[in-house]
Amino acid sequence: MTGAPVDALQRVPLFADLNQREVKQIARLFKQRTFPAGETVVQEGSGGAAFYVIESGEATVFVAGKEYSTLGPGDYFGEIALIDEGARLATITATSELGCYGVTFWDFRPLVEANGVIGWKLLQSLARMYREARAG
Amino acid sequence: MKGTVPLVKAQETALFGSKAVGLGQAIRDGLPVPPGIALSGAIVEAVAAGNDRAIKQVAKTARPLAARSPCRSSAVDEDGAEASFAGQHLTLLNVPSSEHLGAALSEIWWSANSDSAISYRQRVGLFTRPSVGVVVQALLDPESAGVMFTRNPINGEDERMIEASWGLGEAVVAGQVIPDSYRIHRSGDVLQRTPGFKKIAIRTLPEGGTFEQQVQPELVERLCLDDGQLAELNGLADRCEQIYGPARDIEWAFADGKLHLLQCRAVTRSGS
Repeated sequence: MTGAPVDALQRVPLFADLNQREVKQIARLFKQRTFPAGETVVQEGSGGAAFYVIESGEATVFVAGKEYSTLGPGDYFGEIALIDEGARLATITATSELGCYGVTFWDFRPLVEANGVIGWKLLQSLARMYREARAG
Repeated sequence: MKGTVPLVKAQETALFGSKAVGLGQAIRDGLPVPPGIALSGAIVEAVAAGNDRAIKQVAKTARPLAARSPCRSSAVDEDGAEASFAGQHLTLLNVPSSEHLGAALSEIWWSANSDSAISYRQRVGLFTRPSVGVVVQALLDPESAGVMFTRNPINGEDERMIEASWGLGEAVVAGQVIPDSYRIHRSGDVLQRTPGFKKIAIRTLPEGGTFEQQVQPELVERLCLDDGQLAELNGLADRCEQIYGPARDIEWAFADGKLHLLQCRAVTRSGS
């Protein structure tokens, strides 16, 4: 099995409260995915069900058609879609061949549903992220 | 892991998807389907997850087929409705070797989990975990290929409607050429033949993938099917209707002088 590197996931704020064993459980759910240069990885407004951590390459983030930031190895995107099945908030385009680890909503949800401790820690992370967002 | 079977033995839609089972049934019924293997949704997912055992099992099973293979998705869903996902799941027309199958299957698995596929699922009320089987077949390099309706889907007339072009049929399916069009009465009488404008042919590359080949100028507007081939297609339409019932939507190809059936499904809507 491959899975994602644990240290990369530990940098994701959503997973910040999880211990190493819990992060390992999540890491095992990831699958590798490669996007060719120029491909739209996620489209703003589109439905999404996967969260990605970048392993190699670069991507550009656009919000409302304007360039917003650049992503590289270790960066991540789409983590909120793991929980709310909601629309993508930005468009991300691969500027070079982009190697990612991805996990889908369908793989993530059963783990959280079966493990209340992980679920509670995720809830705490979300609450903290919400407070930080409100504080601006 | 029961994940790979010869196409002729693919019988469980819940494991292999409707396309694989449909082609397996066609082989069992004696129709000229290219040989292949069916991979279950579970083994495709295991390969996408990097499971070494699954990757080796798939490569070993596919090795006797041919050096190069097309890989076609075969959706495994609760209603088995592959047609519901037409265009959502990836098909790779020319995977260069069995050693490249792992990466190909991973791409196909992710195509079922792509944002566009997920959006489509949400739109049609099927927000359920996707499962996608795959059909791996011997590669054809057709002289001509296309689609055929065994009954006119527009006005319901009892006649075959055929669209054809040079090379792989994807040029017709994807609307990349104006194909030749033919109407044939079920008696075999050719009612109409209209040359198209076929500037390109899709061909396979030795290293995998396909390319658009410019068609020689004298062939652009030349009919690509002769009377003998039209008679063979009419015969194939007869056999498909005898086995599966009226109004079939067929994909076919002539390769090495032989007619091959690539897909046979019910016409689900006018013009589909």
